[in-house]
Amino acid sequence: MTAHVADESVVDLALGGGSAQARAHAGSCETCARRVQEARAALELARGASVPEPSPLYWDALRSGVSRRIAEDKPRTSGWAILLPLSAAAALVAVLWGGPATRPPTVEPTLPGWSALPAAEEDEGLRVLEGLALASGGGFGEWDEASGLGAYLAGLTDDETQALAERLRNGGRGGES
Amino acid sequence: MTSSAIAFPLGLASSAVPNGGATLEREAERDAIAACRRGEREAFDVLVARYQRSIYRLCYRYVNSHEDANDLAQEVFLKAWRAIGRFRGDSAFSTWLYRIAVNACLNFRALRRPQTLELPETLLDPRPGAEAHVERNDEAREVRAAVSRLPDRQRATLILKIYHDLTHEEVAEILGSTVGTVKANLFHALGNLRRQMTPAGEIRS
Repeated sequence: MTAHVADESVVDLALGGGSAQARAHAGSCETCARRVQEARAALELARGASVPEPSPLYWDALRSGVSRRIAEDKPRTSGWAILLPLSAAAALVAVLWGGPATRPPTVEPTLPGWSALPAAEEDEGLRVLEGLALASGGGFGEWDEASGLGAYLAGLTDDETQALAERLRNGGRGGES
Repeated sequence: MTSSAIAFPLGLASSAVPNGGATLEREAERDAIAACRRGEREAFDVLVARYQRSIYRLCYRYVNSHEDANDLAQEVFLKAWRAIGRFRGDSAFSTWLYRIAVNACLNFRALRRPQTLELPETLLDPRPGAEAHVERNDEAREVRAAVSRLPDRQRATLILKIYHDLTHEEVAEILGSTVGTVKANLFHALGNLRRQMTPAGEIRS
């Protein structure tokens, strides 16, 4: 016995198509012939149910309604379109506000309009510098500006350090007195 | 399907446009779509005028109510306008528009209103004989109601296949399914429709 035709083939046969094999089977099989007949009857039933035809005026109203809704429709942006600019703004704020914590402190390149330095005759620091200059010329070793003061002092022996301290205490002259 | 197939592969469009002007209409549609993609709203009116009847009827079949069909049809065109910038012509415009319409219908919450609102008197076709054509008999009303009660996919398949005369392939493309699934859904839709319309034990022919 040949297998009954599949549901899909019943639809094809009801619509007037289907394979020759399916047609042949439906022609000889009472069950399948009834299935095709029922599907065909349902098709006819469905096709007979028309949709009420609106007035020609209705189509103008529909078009007007569409135009109005489009005019009232605000431009829609996707979630990403909103989130991306917000994220960028947040990142910028974070850089501006949180930046000092991660960046090296900036150095003011400009000097104030007034000077905090005292007049030369009142500047105790100059006496220290003079002492250092004398010390370097007094056998304590070469003063190398490139190495800096720290390196110069670190290179002194204990005796030289003591002699330098004495000379500084005397304003650069004590050691010679 | 390429953009050259934008023509009228679907029954809805071919029935709405005289065959002689098919080429011109096709070109006009392509121009209108291009203009819409540039943001020219007036061009969209051309597309609305072209497809309004088919979309309205599709929606009506689905919700069985003029008011809801009207709302839905407007919603469909609004969605199409919003999305037309993304229409690349990979499928026919009519297929693309139908897909929007079917999705809108599937998402529609029919419980918003009672289901059998008919056309208001003022909107009924005033032409002689039109009323008889509009509502031939109670059976048509019953069939429409029965169709609107079918499960969603069966209903969409039946409507597209029977009332819009699309091929199985076109229906499959719109519904995002296969030809086999379309045929199976149609088979079950017809069976359910027949059972709804037929008293137990009686076979209509």
